[in-house]
Amino acid sequence: MANKLNDDFDILRSTKVPQPSKEARDRALHAALAAFDDAAENNAPRTQGNASGGRLTDRTFRFWREVMQKKLIAVPAFAGLVALPIAGVIGWQLMDELRPDMTLPNDGASSEAAETTASGHLGRRVAPQSAIVEDSGAFVPSAISPRSVISGEALIERSARPGYLPQPVPMMVPSSAPSDGRERFANGDTNPLKVTAEAPVSTFSIDVDTASYAFVRRSLREGVLPLPESVRVEELINYFPYDWQGPSSASVPFNTRITVMPTPWNENTQLMHVAIKGYEINQTAKPRSNLVFLVDVSGSMNEPDKLPLLKNSFRLLLDKLDSDDTVSIVTYAGRAGTALEPTKVSEKQKILQALDHLEAGGSTAGEDGLRQAYQLAESSFVEGGVNRVMLATDGDFNVGQTSDDDLKRLIEDKRESGVLLSVLGFGRGNLNDRMMQTIAQNGNGIAAYIDTLSEAEKVLVQEASSSLFTIAQDVKVQVEFNPQQVAEYRLIGYETRALAREDFNNDRVDAGDIGSGHSVTAIYEITPVGSPARMTDELRYGGARTQGSPAGEMEELAFVKLRYKQPGEAHSKLIETPVTEDNVVARFDEAGESERFSAAVAAFGQKLRRSSDLSSFGYDQIIDIANASRGADPYGYRAEFLSLVRLAAALDTK
Amino acid sequence: MMALAQMEQSLADRELARAAGRGDRAAFAALVERHYDFIYRVSWRLTGSRTEAEDIAQDVCARLGVAIRTYRADSAFTTWLYAIITNAVRDAGRKRVREGEKISAWARDLSITDTGPGDGPAEALWAAVRGLPAKQQEAVTLVYGEGLSHARAAEIMAVSETTVSWHIHEAKKRLKQIVSVGDA
Repeated sequence: MANKLNDDFDILRSTKVPQPSKEARDRALHAALAAFDDAAENNAPRTQGNASGGRLTDRTFRFWREVMQKKLIAVPAFAGLVALPIAGVIGWQLMDELRPDMTLPNDGASSEAAETTASGHLGRRVAPQSAIVEDSGAFVPSAISPRSVISGEALIERSARPGYLPQPVPMMVPSSAPSDGRERFANGDTNPLKVTAEAPVSTFSIDVDTASYAFVRRSLREGVLPLPESVRVEELINYFPYDWQGPSSASVPFNTRITVMPTPWNENTQLMHVAIKGYEINQTAKPRSNLVFLVDVSGSMNEPDKLPLLKNSFRLLLDKLDSDDTVSIVTYAGRAGTALEPTKVSEKQKILQALDHLEAGGSTAGEDGLRQAYQLAESSFVEGGVNRVMLATDGDFNVGQTSDDDLKRLIEDKRESGVLLSVLGFGRGNLNDRMMQTIAQNGNGIAAYIDTLSEAEKVLVQEASSSLFTIAQDVKVQVEFNPQQVAEYRLIGYETRALAREDFNNDRVDAGDIGSGHSVTAIYEITPVGSPARMTDELRYGGARTQGSPAGEMEELAFVKLRYKQPGEAHSKLIETPVTEDNVVARFDEAGESERFSAAVAAFGQKLRRSSDLSSFGYDQIIDIANASRGADPYGYRAEFLSLVRLAAALDTK
Repeated sequence: MMALAQMEQSLADRELARAAGRGDRAAFAALVERHYDFIYRVSWRLTGSRTEAEDIAQDVCARLGVAIRTYRADSAFTTWLYAIITNAVRDAGRKRVREGEKISAWARDLSITDTGPGDGPAEALWAAVRGLPAKQQEAVTLVYGEGLSHARAAEIMAVSETTVSWHIHEAKKRLKQIVSVGDA
């Protein structure tokens, strides 16, 4: 049978392709030359490609092969094969609805060609080069095909129409690409339980990333439980906006709010919930922005949920910027190129046009692109403003400095010069989450994973100011627990953000930044002294050490210290908050809505990480908590969370 | 020896493309002349319609006239060209969908209306190939349609060789189902 099929398959080789008509061929050659000539008139002579190209290509392929040889090949179910292409096409349609029709006015030179062809949609085939005229002087655009013949479409008024946002529809990849092991995740082992008497101090850097949540969501929507290591609980928790009161003046960049409440999944422990809410810069005081979009246009970006989604996402962001802000675009594929020199947002059409002309193809030369993006950012540096490279990619920087460490060094260097870096991840199958984490953490930016246009709306529009305007830098949290009150504790999440105890006071150690209006939450599960949940035996000689403390401090559960720097300052400031009986609520229901909801998210994240602590705590209980603490939920994020928990419950058959 | 010929051709392509990128009109004309058949063939394999393929090939040629200036010799010319072709095919497909044709119609029915010479078992199988997911379809087109090795197809698709083999494997499995359903 197998042989017979192979034979059947070989007859594919014997098919003859019907010859193209000579007229069609001539027309095509004519169109090619017409476009070529038009381009020649409007383009200055250009510089030539680099000599090391061949070597880069070789390295790329070797890298690919090495990775691919290790991977496991997942065989998609039959249903998947049918459903995915349809979902993909729907995704395309959605993307297309956001753009006006591509039809163009013909110009004289090529209209005859258009008329003689059979089907009716040929207007776009002609090559009106009016768009190119805007390119000035020796500036050389070098995306794979940035000046494609459809350039005229950019002349048509096009707005991103933010009013039209489809509900989160998973834009799946139509090809059932192997869901292989190429996605790399940054995560550590789940934080271990700490015994207060032995290690009373816990130190970590804040994390404002949300990439993990979007990744989890996508995975669940595709009907697969996410890999436990892809789940970073703190990113799940920090995905949601909470209604905590922020400070009213910029001199104190944030408020802290601490609540100690019973743990829903363990009656003998408590949760110590630490919420930090950043000061919100009002819109009129916004600093000027200098943004460089660094766009991956490698072949793998050629999927509906990658480059097209990326373009639409940036269009959304563009609407949030002021006319005085500058935007530039650098692309990278086989080589890096500048697709748009720094341009004021007031020349929006020009920016949109450059965006439209990005096309995908080739391998990935991330490092080159990154260097070029930094160069542009520095060339239009805004003193005291926001200088940021926004990297959009689906995966690797696999040419050039491939090691995460080398990249990290480059990004750290540039961070010192005042240019920060954010990473937006797109698509799936190739996503290198570890790279994203490394560079966003070291570039002091956000790492967000964008799977739908509504996610882009959340990250780039709703949270534009918190993603762009930093109010406090190098924010570190240190909690000291009182062994008289707390026997054991465990930090939920923040595995990738742990700092050494001595790093807290060391201003040279980098940590996360907080943007305008950002909220950050950290949750500890603590075991009170005398609780039956205690995992370790009490130390026979442990009690003597704290005997010297004043009586008042003996009552405190813990002492929370926050260190931060005002933007641009070298020395940190300290905020200290004792945690006392006043912070404790006796029943879980008495805790605030936001606290309870974040506890539900924490429970969900830990369950997805297969934490044994939650093995007897059901998804239905998570749903109950989340449902009761949904609140106003104006953007539907919490409702979406509930649907994800239900999905996970259905998928988790163990 | 096949490989050697390919290598020579690919070097010549690179030279021509670079010259064309510098504004050498004759080099560009020669390049398009040389690759028109490849462009048309791939378009035909992916769409199954002669007129459609002719349209797309013309579209690709016109895009080339502009894009050639951005070509730098750090990827094989055919790899680069192939990306432009598949983009054009996808744009055309998207256009069709928007124009109200049914999704499945674009994938399958087109091949029946205009299969070219004869409609033997091979043509029927090609029609089935067009119903496959895009990447599988592309892999089959390059390996069976263009007679390329998996390695070469991988280079053109800018993926790894094992991915191409996987696509081919999946395509065969899928076609096996279709073929056996047809027999029964």
